[in-house]
Parts: sequence; structure tokens; C-alpha cells
Amino acid sequence: MKDRISIVVMVDAVGALSDRTLHNGNLSLVDDSSAGSRHQGTPDLVTVVVPGQVVQWTPIHVDVQTPVEIKAIEFLSGAAAQPPADQTVPAYPVEPSTVPAPAAVSGEGVDATGSNGHENYDLLVWEGVVPYDMTPGVPYRYRISLQLHEGPNSVLHIDSPALLRV
Amino acid sequence: MAQQHGIIVLFDVENALRTRSLDGNTYWFDNMKLLGSVGVGTEQLVTIVPGTHFLDGSQATEQVLNWLPAALGSIPPTVPRNYLAEQERADDRRTLEELAALGSAGSVSDADLKRLQRRVGKRARKSGSGRGLTEAKLLDVTGKTTTSPGAYNYPAPVITDITGQAVSEKIMYPAQYGSPDMIYDGWYWAATVDTSRPGVYPYTMHVQLHELVEQDDELVWQSVDLTCQSSLKIINDPKRNGFTGAGLGVLPLPSVPAAG
Amino acid sequence: MPPRNRQSERQPARPVRPVTITAVVDPVAALASENLDDNLYFYDTNKAAGSTGFGTPELHSRVRKGDTLLWNVIPLECETYVALADIEIDPRIAEPTRKVYPGTDIVFWTAEVKQDLTEPVPYRLSFLLGTVGTPFTPTARPALAGPANEGKGGR
Repeated sequence: MKDRISIVVMVDAVGALSDRTLHNGNLSLVDDSSAGSRHQGTPDLVTVVVPGQVVQWTPIHVDVQTPVEIKAIEFLSGAAAQPPADQTVPAYPVEPSTVPAPAAVSGEGVDATGSNGHENYDLLVWEGVVPYDMTPGVPYRYRISLQLHEGPNSVLHIDSPALLRV
Repeated sequence: MAQQHGIIVLFDVENALRTRSLDGNTYWFDNMKLLGSVGVGTEQLVTIVPGTHFLDGSQATEQVLNWLPAALGSIPPTVPRNYLAEQERADDRRTLEELAALGSAGSVSDADLKRLQRRVGKRARKSGSGRGLTEAKLLDVTGKTTTSPGAYNYPAPVITDITGQAVSEKIMYPAQYGSPDMIYDGWYWAATVDTSRPGVYPYTMHVQLHELVEQDDELVWQSVDLTCQSSLKIINDPKRNGFTGAGLGVLPLPSVPAAG
Repeated sequence: MPPRNRQSERQPARPVRPVTITAVVDPVAALASENLDDNLYFYDTNKAAGSTGFGTPELHSRVRKGDTLLWNVIPLECETYVALADIEIDPRIAEPTRKVYPGTDIVFWTAEVKQDLTEPVPYRLSFLLGTVGTPFTPTARPALAGPANEGKGGR
């Protein structure tokens, strides 16, 4: 078993901004899990994970000069009908040794402001440990929101990828 | 992930050649206005270089700068670099084909010959002191061969060096690279940046412009070496975990995942 | 010192080169923000003749009757598609035609200035960005201005 799984988020930023969607082939997810992930290279990637592993998401832009960053990753809850951004209570075991202030653990709203006052999502590292109480055999879908440059059309998301414990 | 920062320098070549100065004749652009570059589109660009470091202090994201010089009032840089040569060859081919056709047709009119003569164009010879231009026919700004030495397309300015405080203090390490791209082939200047020492660091760009002059009844390319200034503003911030806002934590999974 | 600018001595009255008006566009920023005006910078080759508004979307190009004008585009991200889709201007002043650099699909427009201008004549450019099918048109408008404006402080 690998200690670490890397999920690469490949984005055609100009295509996505032109089409205003991450579909149409504008986004492709690939991981390096050796445990049989499904739908590699699509927005529907299901990454097979094992508790204790660290999962890391890295954005890569097809066009080297266009800024593409991950703005948020939120796991979608089936318990409430609320949109996942409203999720406030982390429903997973907190390991005091590794987890800092609980206020920041919702996966939303982590401050990405740089020292010059400009938002810079390059400051955020998107990685976390797979918890031991994750239910096996059930895909945990997540919403990944991408920041493509700035402005009203600059944030796009998909809800289709998932982590799956086997 | 940080992108490569492209810095475009647009030169008013005609004005610069007339005044023998780049003062007031350069316009600088980068694509980092959203992260804090100021003066985009003016002569006073300050390029932001947003460095990041991990909690252990090591540099996290490597920042790379690329410079692309362009001449205002010339064929734009989107047209492939080898376009000039290609276009000349295409013209030569057409001319040869038409000459062959004229020969076989039996009669050659003056008008036909004049038309072909025009297309053959003038050739400029490079003077001994110049660098970077090969002997070439003259193209005008629309990509057609021209016989008028007053209409030639200014060649793209050539960066010959990058110096100044940002270089002498080892903030950036500029060098000229050959591009592996077969379409936009040619040389370009790039630099990696040490973002561990925040501050504003000026640098000087050394540029060679080319001017066509008549010398002993010949057209000769003369090089004109000039300089212009810009600066980098280095900042540096710690990386933080997107889920926790601090260090590594457990993924925030819901107790019941959404049906999928 | 090489002999300088012999061509300008020979042709002092009329520049042989067209007056080139170049739009520098940040297509990615324009698409993300839906604001072309803030990501559009105009320049021309006639600064010495008194053109104003360099680096803004409201360039005033100083032109004269008989001048050839040429409009082209430089994208800030060199890999991103930007093209000049259309130019709307009073046809009594100029009738721009679309052309491509021979052997490429890269567009430029040219026109001849039909008359000397006493007042600035605003015109409208529209651009194709990325893979979006409908052109983007900035709110701000550049203008052609004639020598008659020189007394008015170069508006």
C-alpha cells in the first residue's frame, strides 16, 4: 500500500472559461493509486483509498501561462439536503495530534490571502489523511471548485469525482 | 501550482530608432495583475512574483519568468517566427512556377515580368556588426515582399542581456534558451526566481533593434543597441493546508456520503 | 554612426508604413471577468503625430486623409486565441477590410482614411476570445482624430 496518493487535476482553462464548464473535456482527473481506481482521465474519477493514506490534489494547467488553482474541495453529504458549503460540523473523528483548530476544518473558507492583500490559491495545499471510520464500498463524492483567473465567471466546479475505500 | 509568468515587452521601434532611446517607447505586460502586478501596459511595470514556502522554510513553488519582445507596427508575434523565411520561400516558388509558365506560353509581356520582379523583392544585407538577422528579403507589415525600403516590417527586437540589481543580487537567474517548439522556434530569455528575499528589485533589459539603411547603394541592416528598465516585486508567504488552514489533517468526510 | 533614416528624408510627406493600431488583449482575464475593457490596451505607431490614450481602450489615433490604417491583435497569453472580429466605423471615414497574413489564418484589418477629420470619430472593435462563438465588444471606444484637433489640447 502506498503512503500517499496523488490526484492530478488537469484543466484546459481557456476551454473551460470559453465553455463555462469543466465538462466537454475541459477537465481530466488522474491518480496514481495502484488499487484499481476507475474512470481515470475523466471528471468521474473514483480513487481507491485506504485509511491512513494521504491524498493530495494538484492542479495542472494545459496552457502553462494561465492560472489554475483549487479554490475548494468539499465532500458531499447524504445526511442533509443542504448544499455542502453549509456543512459546518465535521462528521469525522478528530485526531488531536494532527488536527489543528476545528473552526477551519470544514474545507471552505480557508484564507488564501497573500501578504500583499491579493488572494492567491497557490498558497493552499490540498491534502488530507483518509480517516479510519470511512465506510468501505461506498463512494464519497466530492465537489472540486477551481479558480481560473478572477472575476464573476472564474470559479467552476464539478460534483462527480469520489474517493472509495475498498 | 504557479504558472510561468510571461512578460511581453512591446517596442515602438520607429520612435525608438528616431530618438535613439527606449524612453517612452516601451510598453510592458505580464499576466499577474490579479496577484498584484502594477503598471501593466505602461513603461513602469512592477511584476509581482508571489513566492511560497513550506512550514519547514523550504521554497515551495518555483517561479519562472519568460520574456517576449514584440515590435509595434510589425507582423505580430502570433505569426510563427519562421514566417518571414517561409513567406519568402513561398514567393520564390510561385515566381519560379510562373516564370516556367510564361516560358512555355511563348510570349512574355513586360507587365508580367514587372509583376514578378516586384514579387522577387529587395534583399537586405546584414552589416558586420549586427547579430541575429540572416540575409533576408524585405517583407512589409502585411507579410508581402516589398521593393520599398521605407515599408519594411521591423524585425522583432532581440534581447541581448538582462542585468541589474535583480541579477547581481542573485534574485533571478536569467539565461537565453532555445525553444524546442518547431513552430515558434527561436531563442527566448527565461529566468528562475529566488523568492526567499522579499523586496523590489529593478533590472535592465538590453535590446537590439534593427534598422535598414542605404550604404554604398546597398541596403544594409544596422543594429542599434538600447536598454530599458523594469522591476520585480518579490513577496513570500507560507503554504497552508486547504482543508485545515494550517497543517495536515484528516479529510473532512461526511458521516453519510451523498448517494451517487 | 550609420546614416540614419534615409527613407524619412526621401518621403517626408507620407509614411510608407501603415499607421498600425494594435490591441493587446488579456483573453483569459477577459473571459473570467466578463470585462474586456479592463483587459484591453490600445497602441498605435503615430505617437509622434500626436495620438493619445496609449495603454487604454480609448486610444485616439491621429490620422490624415490617405493614410493606410492597419489593426491587429497581440494576446497576452500567446497560446490563447484572440482575433479581431469586426470594425464598425462610419463608412464615409473608412471602410475596413479583413485580411490574413499570407499563408496563415491570423487576421488583420486595413482601411484607407477617406477624409481629414475635424472631430474625433469613435469606432467599435469586436474580438473573438478563446473558443467562444460570439464576439466580445468593449464598452469604451477608440477614435480616429484629425490634425484639426491639435489646437484643442489633444483630446
